[in-house]
Amino acid sequence: MSQLAVDVVKRNGKRAPERFDHNKLRRSIHAACLSVRSPEGQAAETAQKVCDAVIIWCTDKPEITSADIRHQASRTLKRFHPDAAYIYQHHKVIM
Amino acid sequence: MAKKPSFDYDLIVIGSGAGGSAAATIAAREGKKVAIVEADTFGGESPNWSDVPTKALLHAAQLYDEARHGARFGLRSNTLGYNYPSLRAWKDLSVRRTGAAGNKKFYESQGITAIYGRAHFLTPHEITINRRHLSAAHFLIATGSQWVAPDIQGLVDITYLTPRTILETIRPPKSLYIIGAGTTGVEIAQLMAIFGTKVYLAEIAARILPKEEEEVGELMERLLREGKGVTSLTQTRTLSVVKEGLGYRVTFLRGGAEKSVKVDDVLIATGRQPMVDLGLENAAVTYTPVGVEVNEHLQTSAKHIYAAGDVLGRPGSTHSALLESRVTAHNVLMKNKITPDYTASPRLTFTFPGVASVGLTEDDCLKRDLRINTAIAPLNIIARSNTSDFRDGFVKLISDKKGVLLGGTVVVPHAAEIIQEIALAVKYHMTAADLAATPHAFLSWSEAVRVAASKLVK
Repeated sequence: MSQLAVDVVKRNGKRAPERFDHNKLRRSIHAACLSVRSPEGQAAETAQKVCDAVIIWCTDKPEITSADIRHQASRTLKRFHPDAAYIYQHHKVIM
Repeated sequence: MAKKPSFDYDLIVIGSGAGGSAAATIAAREGKKVAIVEADTFGGESPNWSDVPTKALLHAAQLYDEARHGARFGLRSNTLGYNYPSLRAWKDLSVRRTGAAGNKKFYESQGITAIYGRAHFLTPHEITINRRHLSAAHFLIATGSQWVAPDIQGLVDITYLTPRTILETIRPPKSLYIIGAGTTGVEIAQLMAIFGTKVYLAEIAARILPKEEEEVGELMERLLREGKGVTSLTQTRTLSVVKEGLGYRVTFLRGGAEKSVKVDDVLIATGRQPMVDLGLENAAVTYTPVGVEVNEHLQTSAKHIYAAGDVLGRPGSTHSALLESRVTAHNVLMKNKITPDYTASPRLTFTFPGVASVGLTEDDCLKRDLRINTAIAPLNIIARSNTSDFRDGFVKLISDKKGVLLGGTVVVPHAAEIIQEIALAVKYHMTAADLAATPHAFLSWSEAVRVAASKLVK
């Protein structure tokens, strides 16, 4: 998949914006699914679905924030895997 | 002492429709630095895609319809016809003439920075538009709403029409299935039926125009059926839509039986969804799928961000959005905050006869357990019905036990003009006796208002 022309503004705006990397998102969703003991295949499939949904959402937006990605991803992940969505939303607090 | 933050603008208005335009103009006139952002067409929905084009077409359609039935007045109308491309050209002309449509230059002449693009909040005081970051002390969210399709099997697989897209069709469809018989659905039904379309008007409620008085729905259903051949399918749940040949087969459930009808086109007029996808989470603005939540001063959960118009998710109108926009401008500029007063906001349906209501309906009063008196004056008792040869319609007034007017409904030609008298009476708590004692011009439709008021006084 070609890289989307969407820039991600980082939290607090202190770091320079970076290009949206769907692989980074997929890896984090995949990790959240595995951490609630999802089978590997299911985790990969869920991560891909969530990633696709976020890509559709952000295609018409030139700039978004990292919080937007987290919000959209967790909203979609909640539909497929509520436990993984909880971990994804709160992993910074839990770790 | 902490340094006061500096912003690019005093006010950024997101959306240039009725909810945004008034606030932007007022704030700019007061010397504030203002920007307005529009993602679609400048002027918003009302002048470009809904009120103005629809009413322009309805005016032409009603003129055509009245002339067609002019034989009773001695007019020869056998050769009367219409040219749909010319009708569309008339509609486009009226849109251009409003001045609100595509009015980017107007804003620039007012010293307002007009920006085309999609706004997205990055922080509570900063938005991005086409990768350009702009900050402001205050924001007004007036992004409006869009037609949303109900969850009906097969609908996502077909190209259905909306009240916006039907105005751009090359010719009226031979048959049309309209889902939703609210104000817009009924207006489109009458418009298309006049131009020869066989219309099926499906509504899940027990009557068409369910938010109006019961008598209104019953009368309009009869008039549309008898005069225009519209089939009203009340208490009907549309189940599925499938492509069949060049048209569609629509299956619906009515009276416990599953039926189907084949039509050329399907139009969705069931409801609108606020446009809230603008990074509101980044600005700490609370919203639900229904709309942006605001307090009585139209402030969102972030106090410097206001919201007005359809994005609030209330059953609104252009004049209500304009009212909210003016209130927002006042609240941004002044320390003493005010609240919008919707008491006398009329609800209008621009059919023939027109339907207009203001204040409380009888159902509203029943829900509030109010003790009321009601009076109905049918049009056939006033002289104008004789000279215009039009007798279907009425004026209904509602007052409390002391005679203070609480609301009114009119179903008359030029209803939007007639309702203003009742709106004024409701807003200023006038009594039915006040209305009845006011001379009304002989041979005007407003005589029916006086008659209804007199009935309440007795």
